[in-house]
Amino acid sequence: MSAAAAGAPRVVGFVCDWAVATAGLTDEAGRLHAHPSVVLIRVPCSGFIRPSWLEDALRAGADGVFVVGCPYGDCLNREGNYLMQERIEQLQRRLQRRKVEPERLTMLAHGLHDREAFLADVAGLLDALGRLRPPAPAAARPAAPARASAEEGGS
Amino acid sequence: MYRRYLTALQRWTLGLDVWINRVYPSDLNPLYYTGGLTNLFLFVLVLSGIFIFFYYVPSLNGAHASVAYLTEQVPYGGLIRGIHRYSADAFIIAALLHLFRNWFTDRYLFARDSPWISGMFLLLFGGFVGVTGYILVWDERALVVFSELVRLMRSIPLVGERFAWVLQAGPGISDETMPRMLLLHVGPASALYVLLWWHYVRLRHPKVWPPATWVLTSLGIVTLLAAVVPAVSGTPAQPGVQPTTMWLDVFYLLPFWLAGYVPPFLIVAGIGLLFVAGFAIPYVNREDPHAMGIRHAGVAQVVDGNCTGCELCYYDCPYNAIVMVPSPYPGATRAAANRKLLAVVIDSRCVECGICIGACPFEALELPAFMESDLQRRVAEAVRA
Ligand code: HEM
Ligand code: SF4
Ligand code: SF4
Repeated sequence: MSAAAAGAPRVVGFVCDWAVATAGLTDEAGRLHAHPSVVLIRVPCSGFIRPSWLEDALRAGADGVFVVGCPYGDCLNREGNYLMQERIEQLQRRLQRRKVEPERLTMLAHGLHDREAFLADVAGLLDALGRLRPPAPAAARPAAPARASAEEGGS
Repeated sequence: MYRRYLTALQRWTLGLDVWINRVYPSDLNPLYYTGGLTNLFLFVLVLSGIFIFFYYVPSLNGAHASVAYLTEQVPYGGLIRGIHRYSADAFIIAALLHLFRNWFTDRYLFARDSPWISGMFLLLFGGFVGVTGYILVWDERALVVFSELVRLMRSIPLVGERFAWVLQAGPGISDETMPRMLLLHVGPASALYVLLWWHYVRLRHPKVWPPATWVLTSLGIVTLLAAVVPAVSGTPAQPGVQPTTMWLDVFYLLPFWLAGYVPPFLIVAGIGLLFVAGFAIPYVNREDPHAMGIRHAGVAQVVDGNCTGCELCYYDCPYNAIVMVPSPYPGATRAAANRKLLAVVIDSRCVECGICIGACPFEALELPAFMESDLQRRVAEAVRA
């Protein structure tokens, strides 16, 4: 694994059971064949994700996290994806104050048959993460690194 | 077998969405708002119906003339009548789309059966209101529809004669008949709103209106149609005289067209069977979720000691499955020690989505089949490798 994944940003994605079908896209552990540094975890609904889990994943060393729900308006549970979108926006704002770039948290919406669009989004996400500064080691993170101020200016 | 078809239909439904979402942004996909569109057309029907009510005369001699007066003499009367007519068609189309979409996307199973059952009642009442609406015009077509309706009723064993009596307000067509028709139009139409209360009672924030673009587009289409193709009456009804030519509306009047070929009892039985089947849909083939290939997350559980009574889960549960009760005893954690309320999940309403877990900041809720610790372990494995 390490050779392919070494340079690529490590990403954890939570995918709603009703959203994009990923059978055949991943190995048993949920690792995407196309991007081995991305691991998918299937959950019953995008709204099931507690924002603190996303925060924990970043703290544990993930370079980015994303959640995939159904297209907006088509959540099987009516509101899961809208609620999750809001929660992620709030978390992005909160973490930004601690110098964590919003790009590290993403909400995606792809229906059962949106495979190609989903894979394209993941590729785009990896690109964006690759352009960010490498994450500080988990322990050092709270002490804001030097480049953070420049990024703040941009946002 | 049934399952296989349903899976295929679901694939087509969602495949169609992929196409529509290329044209519209996904939150404007009209098929995501079929319930809201139905409600919109119902609202238009009520408003235009009230307008018509000011001119309508419910009597054998007055009905047809009053509709003609409305159409020809009253400013915009013809337009409003057309809007009433075409919204009725749109209402039925939207309601059927809504039915099929909810059916094909599994939105009726298990804890979700309450909107389905109330929906079938809405369809039954809505369809009946449409039929009485056609009769109110009291032209040739109305007379045919009315006589067929009476014939269908009479064919029902035991109670049929009585039903026919209720319909005619007497043993045959009389001066009482038109007021009775008006009652049978406005009464069930009002009942739709009682049924809608049932329809929405388990849904938090039901999307009652479609997005503004679709409200305006729908109103525009109906108004344009009413202006370009005005709704018209046929020749006045004369009991005992055979109609000359007549145009039958496909949505409402298919059974009446069939009545020329099939014995009336079979038609009644057919309609009855259709609705019985409709009511049964959530319950047939109701194997346990595993056998149906649905992952079974289990009903959400409140971790009693951790709950602080903050109500966040209560606001986010899309199915109103969580109620807040006065806390019978203090919670175990520091945050929960002074709680006033405690969250309780009503099992029969819970669809096992887990949205409340995402809402709870105090780790006081869990889905039995998706414990937080398992999830954390998988995340840890993922970032370690
Ligand atoms: C007067 C006719 C009707 C109106 C105005 C209406 C309106 C609505 C609305 C506004 C919603 C909420 C959608 C949302 O926020 O997710 C809804 C949900 C629902 N309707 Fe209807 N409806 C009608 C008839 C029907 C019929 C005929 C059926 C099927 C038999 C039906 C089945 C359902 C189901 C199963 C849901 C729940 C969907 C979910 O859980 O996401 N409805 N309806
Ligand atoms: S899992 Fe939670 S949010 Fe979902 S229906 Fe059950 S109680 Fe409501
Ligand atoms: S969100 Fe959690 S703490 Fe708040 S009321 Fe619900 S279960 Fe209790």
